[in-house]
Amino acid sequence: MSSIKNLTLIDDDEVFIYLTRKTLNKTNLVDHIRVFENGLEALNFIKNNLDNQDELPEVIFLDLSMPIMDGWQFLQEFSKLKLDPKKTITIYICSSSISPDDVARAKSNSEVSDFIFKPITAEKLYDIVDRL
Amino acid sequence: MEKIADYMYALDESAIVAITDQIGIITYVNDNFCKISKYSRKELIGQDHRLINSGYHPKSFIRNLWTNIAKGKVWKGEIKNRAKDGAYYWVDTTIVPFLNKEGKPYQYVAIRFDITDRKKGEADLNRSLKEISDYKYALDVSAIVAITDQKGIIRHVNENFCKISKYSAQELIGKDHRIINSGYHSKAYIRDLWTTIANGRVWKGELKNKAKDGTYYWVDTTIVPFLKADGKPYQYVAIRSDITERKKGEAHIKKINHQAIEHGKVLESKNRQLVDFCNIVSHNLRGPLINISMLIDFMDNSESEEEKNEIQSKMKPVVNHLMEVFNELVESIQVKQDTGITADKQYLDHCLEKTVVGFETQIKNYQANIRADFSKAPWVFFPQKYLESIFANLISNALKYKSPKRDPEIFIESTPVSGATLLSFVDNGMGIDLDLHRQHLFKIRKTFHKHPDAKGFGLFMIKTQVEAMGGEIWVESQPDKGSTFFVKILNAEV
Repeated sequence: MSSIKNLTLIDDDEVFIYLTRKTLNKTNLVDHIRVFENGLEALNFIKNNLDNQDELPEVIFLDLSMPIMDGWQFLQEFSKLKLDPKKTITIYICSSSISPDDVARAKSNSEVSDFIFKPITAEKLYDIVDRL
Repeated sequence: MEKIADYMYALDESAIVAITDQIGIITYVNDNFCKISKYSRKELIGQDHRLINSGYHPKSFIRNLWTNIAKGKVWKGEIKNRAKDGAYYWVDTTIVPFLNKEGKPYQYVAIRFDITDRKKGEADLNRSLKEISDYKYALDVSAIVAITDQKGIIRHVNENFCKISKYSAQELIGKDHRIINSGYHSKAYIRDLWTTIANGRVWKGELKNKAKDGTYYWVDTTIVPFLKADGKPYQYVAIRSDITERKKGEAHIKKINHQAIEHGKVLESKNRQLVDFCNIVSHNLRGPLINISMLIDFMDNSESEEEKNEIQSKMKPVVNHLMEVFNELVESIQVKQDTGITADKQYLDHCLEKTVVGFETQIKNYQANIRADFSKAPWVFFPQKYLESIFANLISNALKYKSPKRDPEIFIESTPVSGATLLSFVDNGMGIDLDLHRQHLFKIRKTFHKHPDAKGFGLFMIKTQVEAMGGEIWVESQPDKGSTFFVKILNAEV
């Protein structure tokens, strides 16, 4: 089974991070997890590592509702980045929102691969890895 | 004798001449007679003069003619005759009886002039006159008509005019037309009307007029200037039709439309609140609930006591957080439901004093300077609870998000703006990047600074309170310079 070398969580909810880490560790699907509390911190990290491809994540789990820079704003800024075309970063919106507006908006965004309703379970992770 | 012959010649040349004997048998006709009657002389001589009767004139007319000439009197009149081909012609006729020694006529000389063209002209004219009078009749029965002279003095009104204006014709004739002015129209509108018609052009428009009893009526109006040879108007004919009912209908539709728009606005605002509420529930309540359920799952599956304790320690803050969000939500819904809350006269300096007491320690520690100028609008009409909430939240924010580079300065001012009061809270704090956060600023659980006390509830709450009272709240800000919050209070009882 293939696995993810670098996964990034962008979320301000500590408990969610704790729980997701636990789930990820159990599955052994991910080598390295990096966590950012809001979109701006994640964006800055990616900007600083544009030439350092091994540090960039293959998958991002992005929350929508965060202080400083929320998920939507992050997507907007992310789309302006000049990424190496060989490097693909797959973004999943990962939110507790069940608002149909949010889901529709996420699906219409070309940067977003899919919308995952929280929580992140082992089953959902296997699915994601299969699809990569 | 020669002179008489000359006269005869002149007469023959100019007139239609015929001579009959005393019983009406034609004894002489001239060329003109033959020409107009289209009979030859041969066909006429010896015939009864009735040969050219048209049958047009009544018997009494013909009898009167004969009675006169038989008595030896000259008869003059206009006669319609019929030519041989059946065509009619009109002749101006003078019949002169020639009398014998006994004074009895022995022959009649009839001198005629062709007036067929004139008669035809007269008939055309009469037809035109009739047509005009028919038009006038049609206009009078269908429209409201008035004629004024060039100065606007009423010279003629029809029955419809009297009926709608409730004045009698006597009351109107000779009066200035302004007698029915309603005063409704702007001066510019009336000026345009007069300029148009004084320049000889037709004016069309809708006018609101006032009847004698003070009631108003609307008329669709056309004013036609009648012009003199020099092109200047000598009178104005105003033709109107009553459109009062239509105008009433229009006003009604306008009102209904306005109501519909208002209803729509209320619905829109309700809908927005509902969407907000849905978002709050899905973002802010579902999140912690998921965490709790996940924590329980992990705890159930955990075999290590150490891990179980760790998970348990995570549980408490999540429950507390959920509780907090839930309480805030309930509080904000209460504001929306709290239609019974009453507005009172609130002095702004009292409110500030009361608020500042709560922040005494912080003000002292931060060496904050709070100034205020309420001289331009010393009070507002607003619920006390909400006003205190506005002051407390905005002052608290200004202190919480002070700049690390300088001591906090807060300046609060009130200004009257067309019936409402505008409060401004100026600070020199960290400021907010509005390009990033404008949409979310007043939403629940949105925070814009990494501050341990930032909860994202204060602004949401006061916006809810301000809007519940029909007011507005907005912000201007520059990062690192400071923020100004504006609160517009309507001062109206809601």
